[in-house]
Amino acid sequence: MSKILAVARREFLETVKNKIFLINLVLVPALALGGAALSIYFAKQAVGGPRETRQIVVEDRSGLLADDLREAFAQHNRRRPQQPIALTLIEPEADAPTTGSEELAARVRAGTVHGYAVIGPGAVEGSDKCLYYLKARNLADMELVSTVQQCLNEAIVAVRARRRNLSPKVLDEIRAWTSFEQIDVGEQAGGGKRSEAVMVMAPFFFLFLMFTGVFAVNQQILTGVIEEKSSRIIEVILSAVSPFQLLTGKMLGAVAAGFILIGVWGGAAYAAALIKGIHAAVPLSVFVYFTLYFIFGFLMVASFLAALGSMCNTLREAQSMMTPAMIIFVLPIIAWFYITQQPSGLFAVVLSFLPPITPMVMILRIAAWPEIPLWQIAASFVLLALSVPAMLWIAARIFRVGILMYGKPPSPREILRWIRYA
Amino acid sequence: MPNPSLVLDHVTKSFGSLRAVDALTLRVPHGCIYGFLGPNGAGKTTTLRMILDIIAPDSGRIEILGRTPPAAKDLIGYMPEERGLYRKMTVRAVLAYLGAIKGMPSRDASRAAARWLERVGLADWAGRKVEELSKGMQQKLQFVATVFSGPQILILDEPFSGLDPLNLDLIKDIMLEMRAAGKTVIFSTHMMEQAERLCDFILLMNKGRAVFDGTFAQIQSEYESRAVLVEVEGDNRFVQALPQVSAVRAIGKRLEIELSAGADDQDLLRALLQRTRVRSFEIKVPTLHEIFVHRVGGSHE
Repeated sequence: MSKILAVARREFLETVKNKIFLINLVLVPALALGGAALSIYFAKQAVGGPRETRQIVVEDRSGLLADDLREAFAQHNRRRPQQPIALTLIEPEADAPTTGSEELAARVRAGTVHGYAVIGPGAVEGSDKCLYYLKARNLADMELVSTVQQCLNEAIVAVRARRRNLSPKVLDEIRAWTSFEQIDVGEQAGGGKRSEAVMVMAPFFFLFLMFTGVFAVNQQILTGVIEEKSSRIIEVILSAVSPFQLLTGKMLGAVAAGFILIGVWGGAAYAAALIKGIHAAVPLSVFVYFTLYFIFGFLMVASFLAALGSMCNTLREAQSMMTPAMIIFVLPIIAWFYITQQPSGLFAVVLSFLPPITPMVMILRIAAWPEIPLWQIAASFVLLALSVPAMLWIAARIFRVGILMYGKPPSPREILRWIRYA
Repeated sequence: MPNPSLVLDHVTKSFGSLRAVDALTLRVPHGCIYGFLGPNGAGKTTTLRMILDIIAPDSGRIEILGRTPPAAKDLIGYMPEERGLYRKMTVRAVLAYLGAIKGMPSRDASRAAARWLERVGLADWAGRKVEELSKGMQQKLQFVATVFSGPQILILDEPFSGLDPLNLDLIKDIMLEMRAAGKTVIFSTHMMEQAERLCDFILLMNKGRAVFDGTFAQIQSEYESRAVLVEVEGDNRFVQALPQVSAVRAIGKRLEIELSAGADDQDLLRALLQRTRVRSFEIKVPTLHEIFVHRVGGSHE
């Protein structure tokens, strides 16, 4: 046991003294926080920030709306002085087709006009629709649509009100919006506000934490094993400890470093959440699940990389052998949005029971929707409790043979033979 | 041989269809230097690795100081043929780590490391990284790493390959000191001269089997000499015609004479003395190299 601890201690120190680890430790939270802050800033800019004046052309075929349209757009410009809209009203041509002018559509296409609306002759009576020509390039364009729509409706409603002899004051009273705030009931009473951004980003945050934490730390296992092999110190080490002791020590050291990493990252994230007042948005149980899944996922990847390292002589060899396996490991990253949208869909459930990615998919689903069926959580732990020791066992057998082999990396058939006969 | 330090009893190891070691039986006494000799692929390294429990034998029994190989790991200092240390670690840290996995308390390890580094002249380098050391210094550090934990048995795989002359003497001194302290040194080599000078016992291996096992004197006596080296004064052409002589080869001033069947070397000396003065007369002892080539035959490269 003291030998295992000696190996673990060296492995741990080598990992945490590694520059890449330190960079990961500090830079990743800094980048993530900085990135989050920037994206929030830009999102705010996109919705509420200043914009160039946008040209809107309206062709009013009802002939009733000109004044009210001018008033509606003027009101918009008073409310949002940073996002002005310039309105140009044009007279309908006497016998123009109902589809609107090709020439104006071309100008919209060219970008000199942001939007072109044709108000049908019977729009006020509700018997005709409005057409709106636009070229959607970004979110701001989409937002402009609803602004224009709102202005047109305001003008139409104003005309209708006058026909019914409603005074503008009464009209304003009728129009007054009631304010509306979303409150998620959460797991329990007093769960606090749970904004949509947190609901979308929290699962990704946990997934990212697990993936990066697992691979950043276990990278050291891979490079360490290859270094020991290529520097030929491995024989000296194996004359003092058994391959199993060596492998166990390496894993313990890596797990310790892994906890430091996710501790710092998780701490930084919690601190940031505290500052923003959304710390209560993620239930405590998710953190408990995360820790458990992290240990399983960590050991899974650690044993995979140790076995891989033992088979290779150079890092380059290892990388080329790793590529096919990485396709499986990045599946949760590729599919994260889909999984968070449908955390109990068939796809998510199937991925949950693919042992190498079970921890990542499960934490994604649990963080997205804490009410996923308990039997699935239980089943995932049973699966991991069986598959992780199996993976460790296979890795130990490959490790024991591979670590003394030099030359060409083994073929899949040779690997199978090692596992059976080692 | 009471209480041998190492016993191998019908030890066999195969790799696929290749029998690397075939029913090898061996007893190594305390306080001796035991040389494993044989061509490449004879099974020397595999035998050493089994003693070290780096690989397990398919069958047979290995006992080291009364223990099984896994239980004896801390009693053995091992230097593999392919040498190497953690390049990015400091000299001190490497030794501390190797001491720890050899089960040494850290205080003992650092004291022993300091003493040995002092002895080989690396004391000033203790805080440097291994990769900063010259090749010769790294060789010294490798010896230190092998012996500083105070092993009862030293196992060295091809210890003389690639050493500079100073380090060659150093490792030989260490081997002799170990023997003098009653410890056992086992090493493999294909450098016959070194083995001849150092070994008390020799195991000659070929194709996984023991071809010979015993002392150097024993193996020489098995090869009764049929040749003498002589140097005589004046014209030596008469020698060829003597009845005791079957063949003559000139080596500088000396003649290597192969005795004819049934001839006695002392009769030859008398015959020579009757004709001329004899400056030197030496019964040729077969060298290990010759025995080796003879025993192992065509398979020796």
